[in-house]
Amino acid sequence: MEIKYTVQGLLIYAAMGAYLLAFVTTLLHRRKAGWMLYLFGFIIAVSAFGYRWYDVRHVPLQNLFEVFLCLGMIYPVTLFCYRFLRVGGVCGDMLIGAIVLFPAGFVFNAEPQRLPPALQCWLFVPHVAVYMLSYVFMAKATFQAVCELAGKSHNAEENLLGPEEATYRMICVGFPLLTLGLVLGSWWGKVAWGDYWGWDPKELWSLASWLVYVGYFHFRYMFGKKRPRINSTWAIAGMAVIIITLLWVNLSRLFAGLHSYAT
Amino acid sequence: MSRFRKVIMWAGLTLIVALIFLSMYGAFLGAERAQNLFNTLPAAVYWSAFIIILAAGFVVFRRLVRITALSLIHCGCILVLAGGMWGSEAGHKMQSQLFGIDKIRTGQMAIYEGKTENHVAVEDVEQIKELPFSIKLKDFRLEHYKPEYLQVLTRDGEGWKVPVEVGTEFFLGENLGTVTIVRTFENFKIRIENEERKITDEPESGYNPALEVKIKSPEGDEETRYVFERFPGHTHPEDELLLSYRRVIRDYVSELEIIKDGKIVVEKNIEVNHPLYFGGYHFYQHSYDAEAGQYTVLMVTSDTGLGLVYAGYAMLCFGVFWQLWVRNIFAQKKKRK
Repeated sequence: MEIKYTVQGLLIYAAMGAYLLAFVTTLLHRRKAGWMLYLFGFIIAVSAFGYRWYDVRHVPLQNLFEVFLCLGMIYPVTLFCYRFLRVGGVCGDMLIGAIVLFPAGFVFNAEPQRLPPALQCWLFVPHVAVYMLSYVFMAKATFQAVCELAGKSHNAEENLLGPEEATYRMICVGFPLLTLGLVLGSWWGKVAWGDYWGWDPKELWSLASWLVYVGYFHFRYMFGKKRPRINSTWAIAGMAVIIITLLWVNLSRLFAGLHSYAT
Repeated sequence: MSRFRKVIMWAGLTLIVALIFLSMYGAFLGAERAQNLFNTLPAAVYWSAFIIILAAGFVVFRRLVRITALSLIHCGCILVLAGGMWGSEAGHKMQSQLFGIDKIRTGQMAIYEGKTENHVAVEDVEQIKELPFSIKLKDFRLEHYKPEYLQVLTRDGEGWKVPVEVGTEFFLGENLGTVTIVRTFENFKIRIENEERKITDEPESGYNPALEVKIKSPEGDEETRYVFERFPGHTHPEDELLLSYRRVIRDYVSELEIIKDGKIVVEKNIEVNHPLYFGGYHFYQHSYDAEAGQYTVLMVTSDTGLGLVYAGYAMLCFGVFWQLWVRNIFAQKKKRK
């Protein structure tokens, strides 16, 4: 663990602070102030991402530091889900924002790197960006699934969906992106490495995460809302596999493979 | 849900869960062993069962036929699996036995600069096969990011990145003096001529990048040093400054010509992410001669089954977005009305 005494580091810590403050403020029923702080944190997170972009001179999605920096810009997803999809969990999103910025701020090395030849492809940005966006939706789905398992009911005043239905809706939004990410990755694999499927550990874990959500849809089709707790367990299992795909595969020596440059 | 439908649904779910666990297991095995695992006979039976269950879904669930998006998703999955099996090692063997199509599935070919080659070292059967056309390597080159840097480090750990610009003096501080890059070499060579040591650059005969660096102390003493990219740590214990020359590779480029019936039919520079496609094969920049930069290694892969897989991908993506995004948006609008 290291503290970054740089402009980049300061921006990350400021965004984390704003997100945490927003979280606490919202918990204290100061919703408006919470939203304002959340927006402020988002602006700082965008600045941190933009600063990094300027620093490395390419879209910063190359390694885990940059990926977590990107994930920190969660505010538009929260707003979209709240306004248009009637999915709550705003408070949880503020916490998720701070949590995903933590590895960028304290764990991963921020040393700028040049893009290796394999990453110099137009598919690089859409493949990673689509995956990151899907992960954010799946994280929100997981939050709702945990609420379901914890027995939390929805807030009738705000006209929001109940946790089980909100989980389903989030997965409905995230799953097409997850599919697109997988397909783009496969296509890129063919262009760069000669095969659309190389049985690489990262590929296999990402297939496993996609399949968990496929299983979720089929199980929910079979039983509908009759087994909400099992539906929620599928959603949580999906997120667990995503975390392994995103982190463990790159950090552990167990899974050396073609995606090792992403560490 | 009728009993038969339930059986199909449970069978499908069981196959999905089995594939989840197999994928996880395969990830622990590593790519090579996982590939072997998923290409065994039991795996072929499993993939076939998956296709059969998907097809059975169309018969049993009218919904899959009625709703276009669901049809696309499930047909897409069938195509991806079928394309994968058709393009696999076993698929190629089957095509050879049934239809006499003897295509190389995957292999490698090494070509020297200026030479023409049509032999491919085939991985699956460990033998050399011939392509129905030849490939000539006009030139192979490495491209590096600019600017390149000379790294200067003191014994105390203080460091500088000096841009490689010939003739520019770089000031290190009052106690250390300056460094100047005098000359750059692509292939550093020492020749003895008339009992005298002569340093030359011979880029056409090898690959040994180096820098000639002049170090000037604050007292005015000058020292010349040679820093080699491929031989780092080439310093004496008494040296106050540690110098290293590292370049970051931006691209590997092979300039190729495809020759068929004695004529050049295609000319292309292939790079990572820019393969060459000809005669049902893709050619990729795979490796190179790291010692002398005299030859390139191309990966050759057949395109068998690729069309099916890509068609499946397109159907799957289109179907998933249509079913989960577009249909939901329309449903919401209808509800509001």
